[in-house]
Amino acid sequence: MKSRKLIVSIVLMSLVLAAAMIGCSSTPKTEPQAAAEPQFEKYHAIVDARFVMDHITVPMAENVMIIDSRPKRAKYDKGHIPGAVSIPFSQFDKMTDQLPAEKDALLIFYCGGLKCPLSHKSAFKAEELGYTNIKVFAKGFPGYMKVAGNYPAVSVEWVKAQLDKGADIVVIDARPKKPKYDKGHIPGAISIPDSQFDKYQDLLPAEKDKTLVFYCGGLKCPLSHKSAKKALAMGYTSVKVFATGYPAWVAYAGKDATVKTTAVQSGGEEGSIDNAVFTKIINTEPGSIYLVDVRDPAEFSTGSFETAVNIPIDQLEAKIPELPASRPIVFVCGTGARSGEAYYMVQDLRPELKEVYYVEAEITFNQDGSFKLTQVTQ
Amino acid sequence: MKKWLMFALALTISISFVGAAFAIDKGNKRKGKYIYRKVYKACHERGEVDSAKPPINPDAKTQAEWTTVFSGKTFDEFGCADEWSQLSDEDLSNIYAYLHDHAADSPTPLKCK
Repeated sequence: MKSRKLIVSIVLMSLVLAAAMIGCSSTPKTEPQAAAEPQFEKYHAIVDARFVMDHITVPMAENVMIIDSRPKRAKYDKGHIPGAVSIPFSQFDKMTDQLPAEKDALLIFYCGGLKCPLSHKSAFKAEELGYTNIKVFAKGFPGYMKVAGNYPAVSVEWVKAQLDKGADIVVIDARPKKPKYDKGHIPGAISIPDSQFDKYQDLLPAEKDKTLVFYCGGLKCPLSHKSAKKALAMGYTSVKVFATGYPAWVAYAGKDATVKTTAVQSGGEEGSIDNAVFTKIINTEPGSIYLVDVRDPAEFSTGSFETAVNIPIDQLEAKIPELPASRPIVFVCGTGARSGEAYYMVQDLRPELKEVYYVEAEITFNQDGSFKLTQVTQ
Repeated sequence: MKKWLMFALALTISISFVGAAFAIDKGNKRKGKYIYRKVYKACHERGEVDSAKPPINPDAKTQAEWTTVFSGKTFDEFGCADEWSQLSDEDLSNIYAYLHDHAADSPTPLKCK
């Protein structure tokens, strides 16, 4: 009898346990808290991306201000809606002097998307200050970037930091080369004037995922924006505009952090480049010339200039039609013999190329990437 | 005696002129290298030679020997007579500069790399 009770008890307990387990597995999962409606008071005038984009102009209209409420360094510097000013919510009270004087000016606040309260909170604060035409772009920066063809603007702090750490970006000066770029530009920037974009687009990198940063003459200059759109149309996937441009660079990095174009000067021998000028170009803006190392691949692999392309002299003739006409071409080798031959080959086969030079010197490449030119006595 | 003196003077002057006629200026060796190779490229394309590479390297002769060759314009050993006959004096002086400056007894003897 006892054993029968025991069996019944075990069976009952098993059933209870099984039921409990089934119950556990079939209980609907509660929605994560994150997906719930944001727990903050939303501003009453919400606008979409189209509304924001309709108000992005270069320069921005005086009675319109797009305001990025996110933290500046962590968010705004890395990417923001072009034309937007940074007034982080945490700094709002200290920065009200940056808001337009006219209380009926259109203020569009945004931050990091639907879950971000910063733009709404800033909008309420602006309302308290008496502004009457306030909107919140609730989808914020992510919503803006989702629109095909849109690109972010970056700040001068971000550009300088990238260049200082040697990031793999290409900075493009969209201003006219003469006199703007030649007079002064960001070190390492290449010149592709927007008006000649199609002609010089071959200067852009072949890799379409490389980050391109266009700049021109500041917030009133549309050239960098126009060029950025052309680059996107070409298929580049990481295009940014440094909208505050060259004036911001000079103000932030200083005049000493700009470079003038070094004019290519002939050396003593016909077709040769002045060695001092060549050295300066390599050290300051190697991208301003198309540098061709005509040595054999085995020699090239032991060391060459960082920006040099290797076209062995025996293969040069077939590739002469492909040489770019957009910047000076300089041939190098170990002694000036093959580079000199390359110079005369181009003179013979493509005489319309006027800016062609060779280095008439012995070139020694060191392990640390440096090089030494030794004048060759003819 | 006076006749002999006049004859000797005339002979000296004549020899000088003949020498000057065969003298060759040294041109641009970089250009010379390109023209020298171009001669054989054209000759090779025409089918006269098997290789586009020049058959005689600069270090095949001494500087004096190159001077003799170019002063006398004796280019038979080079082959490709058609191409050589079309070279201008400037072309020849450029090729001469290239071969002479990289001759066997020069500071930088060179094979035609």
